[in-house]
Amino acid sequence: MNTALAVHNVSYGYGATSILDDISFNVPKGAFYIIIGPNGSGKTTLMKIMAGSAKFKKGRVDIMGRPCSQYSRQELARTIAFVPQNIPDDFSFTVRDVVLMGRSPHQGVLGLERKEDGRILKQAMMFTGIDHLAHRAIDQLSGGERQRVFIARAICQKPRIILLDEPTAALDLAHQVRIMDLMEQLKREKGVTVVMVSHDINLAAMYGDCLLLLKKGRIVSQGRTDEVLTFETLEKAYGCLLLVDESPLGDFPRVTPVPHKLKLEI
Amino acid sequence: MPKDVPIVAKRILFVSFFLLLLLLAVCFLGVSTGSSGSGFKAVWWALMDDSRSDPITASIIWNIRFPRVILAALVGATLSLGGLVFQALLRNPLAEPYILGVSGGSAIGAIIGIMMGFSRFPGVSMTAFCGSMATLLLLLLMTCGHSKFKDSLLLSGVMVNAFAGAIIMFLMSMTQDSRLHNIMFWLMGDLSLADMRQIRILAFVLVPCFCLVFRFSHSMNLLLMGQEVAETMGVNIRLVTVTLLVTTSFMVSITVSYCGPVGFVGLVMPHLLRLVIGPDHRTLVPACIIGGGSYMVFCDILSRVLPDQGEMPAGVVTALIGAPLFIYLLKRSGR
Amino acid sequence: MLLLFAIVIAVMPDQASAKTVVDQLKRRVVVSDKPLRVISLAPSITEILFFLELGDRLKGVTRFSDYPKQAAVLPKVGSYVNLDLEKIVSLKPDLCIAVKDGNPIEVIRRLELLDIPVYAVDPRDLDTLIETVLEIGHLLNADTIARRVTRDMVSRIQKIKTLTAQVVRRPGVFFQIGISPIVSVGANTFNDELIRRAGGRNLVKGPAAYPRFSKEQVLALAPEIIIICSMARQGGFERMKAEWNCWPSLPAVKNQQIYLVDSNLFNRPTPRLVDGLELLFQLIHPEFAEGR
Repeated sequence: MNTALAVHNVSYGYGATSILDDISFNVPKGAFYIIIGPNGSGKTTLMKIMAGSAKFKKGRVDIMGRPCSQYSRQELARTIAFVPQNIPDDFSFTVRDVVLMGRSPHQGVLGLERKEDGRILKQAMMFTGIDHLAHRAIDQLSGGERQRVFIARAICQKPRIILLDEPTAALDLAHQVRIMDLMEQLKREKGVTVVMVSHDINLAAMYGDCLLLLKKGRIVSQGRTDEVLTFETLEKAYGCLLLVDESPLGDFPRVTPVPHKLKLEI
Repeated sequence: MPKDVPIVAKRILFVSFFLLLLLLAVCFLGVSTGSSGSGFKAVWWALMDDSRSDPITASIIWNIRFPRVILAALVGATLSLGGLVFQALLRNPLAEPYILGVSGGSAIGAIIGIMMGFSRFPGVSMTAFCGSMATLLLLLLMTCGHSKFKDSLLLSGVMVNAFAGAIIMFLMSMTQDSRLHNIMFWLMGDLSLADMRQIRILAFVLVPCFCLVFRFSHSMNLLLMGQEVAETMGVNIRLVTVTLLVTTSFMVSITVSYCGPVGFVGLVMPHLLRLVIGPDHRTLVPACIIGGGSYMVFCDILSRVLPDQGEMPAGVVTALIGAPLFIYLLKRSGR
Repeated sequence: MLLLFAIVIAVMPDQASAKTVVDQLKRRVVVSDKPLRVISLAPSITEILFFLELGDRLKGVTRFSDYPKQAAVLPKVGSYVNLDLEKIVSLKPDLCIAVKDGNPIEVIRRLELLDIPVYAVDPRDLDTLIETVLEIGHLLNADTIARRVTRDMVSRIQKIKTLTAQVVRRPGVFFQIGISPIVSVGANTFNDELIRRAGGRNLVKGPAAYPRFSKEQVLALAPEIIIICSMARQGGFERMKAEWNCWPSLPAVKNQQIYLVDSNLFNRPTPRLVDGLELLFQLIHPEFAEGR
């Protein structure tokens, strides 16, 4: 069984509003799976459903082959880790404290640190390159550094799957690439399945093994990067003119939006 | 570098021990102060059951001052802990233990009890407690199911307190003479009627609440990471929130029902301790209990010592000290 | 042999020569036969005790015990609504005398738990006030003086009664005890009874003891006599009188019958109430002034 996460016919909405409509897809083990789509396509809701914090009525989600309802809360916490889009910054824990909290699914009630926790902590911090910030207060860091702290925390959970909700949204170019490289490394070295929601199509194209394209709660396309990122599917999803060609950096597509003024010249 | 003994455990013990010494010192001071004089020596003799101890003085110390000091410690602990929990649950630095309508509801209940001629205990305490629990229930019914649950709860609580304030003024305008005095004293917080039997009951009810809150102190830390993150780290959000909410409201209601709403302790102590100790609730919970207790005992000493005739109500002293302290803390943290 | 016996008797510990009495609240109180250290828990009790010439046995009084002057030097035990438990205990009393209206019941209970007897009184009108004086006198072995004081009170009250029997009509009286807001006295208060006994008619009927009035409501009552009894300073009285004088339709203004009286004679249930009664009688029925 090499599916890390399988979503079967999941629908989600409240009242008359439907946010997700009959979604089904599989995330292979060890893949870098990226979900893209325009605003309001239900990406964040889908992420919350996979993380287990949004209760859906229709459909089923299997994690590592077992339905998620069969997992206890602790088990689930040791299998899936979640990195949110907005990192709260209204408290002044130190970086070390925050990363250590990632160990809580493996700890007792009071979350007291044991020797092995310290070791795992240090590894995670070195992996994400924040070791030198260990004793700084988290509310004094930059956005990119905070993001990495939360990723380090997620790594400490020792999950099989890591979910990230638009981790690069508020970051500058350098940090965007750094985070993506980090995820790539995590996947390669530790075999962790990475599922990410992204708004940046090109980053998705560069790093993703499989993509899922959503629009208004429905799947437009899913599969390999070059299958999903075609002119037709993208125009259908985004509703604007896009130029799709091959990236000069490798055999993955490059998507360029066409501004109005150039449209007339084509 | 990872250490051998959990740092946190060391920190909890160290802070608790230091604050415990402070509490004992302040309690000794509290038992040595009073309108009948009696210096430290008299207290020492009474404590040691020395033959030189005067039985009247010993009676004053054990039957009048000692219960009062214990009550002050319990009240300070409960209110500080209440403020801490609400500030964490509602993610609002202005949250304090009365924010969910507890002070308004219990005041209305107490005034009705006083107007009906009940004595403080158990009559007025019971009506006050029913008042605060009824208000809490009303609040929860009004806001459950809202998408922005925390904000709705906060706003509704503030509104309920404001409305209760109007009712209180109306009830007061209808009362005459000595019952009006009773009401006013109750509203200002009154530690003077401490009775050892009643305090034993109070302690018996409050201490388990303290333990329960401590058990969830790490969950409170995790909650600060954000609800989704906390949930994916294994925290049962619903269970933790409801348990903490109910436990805290209950213990604050019990305290207010017994001695009236004493203000500013629950708002100021958590901030003060957070400034000194840091945001880790595993250390803050015991610190609030012991430190908050010490603060209240200290305020009670001042309330008995400062005026040259009679005593100041507990709520007045905590406000006189608490408000400037809070402003100072605000300036410090703004840096 | 007799000497030895006498010495033994003298040295024998004083048996609790105590008696059980029932106070005005129907509570059973065990008091020593000769209470020597008494604490008064209300200014009215202080006054009564001094009237009974028991000032030397009084060891503590409440804060506003300002009559007579000798009370001022006695140790204070807080105010009558906010008693200082610790101070009371430290003064080692063998009897405390409390009033139902005002003293917090919890403090009374605490005192009893500490083995300090508390005798509670509740004088509601002149008759029960006289009983109170007699009871306190009996409690403190001052029966003779108590009888003398009460006999004097009774005779003076009786005199007024005889005179008012001849009264032709009773003028409407508005008894004002508060200036802002205007507060008067209703039924079941001492002042209401005094007005009646002094040959007047209290225009304030209602069940509320101290109802609040707007000026308009007072005008509607059309009082012939307005008596202002307030603890405020003289300036307050002048202002109030000037305000009433703005309404010449008021019978009290027409007849220039607005008076200020010393609140001390009307505030407290003590023998001075009879002084108040006599004063009221003079104001309400000046035609009898010469006949006294």
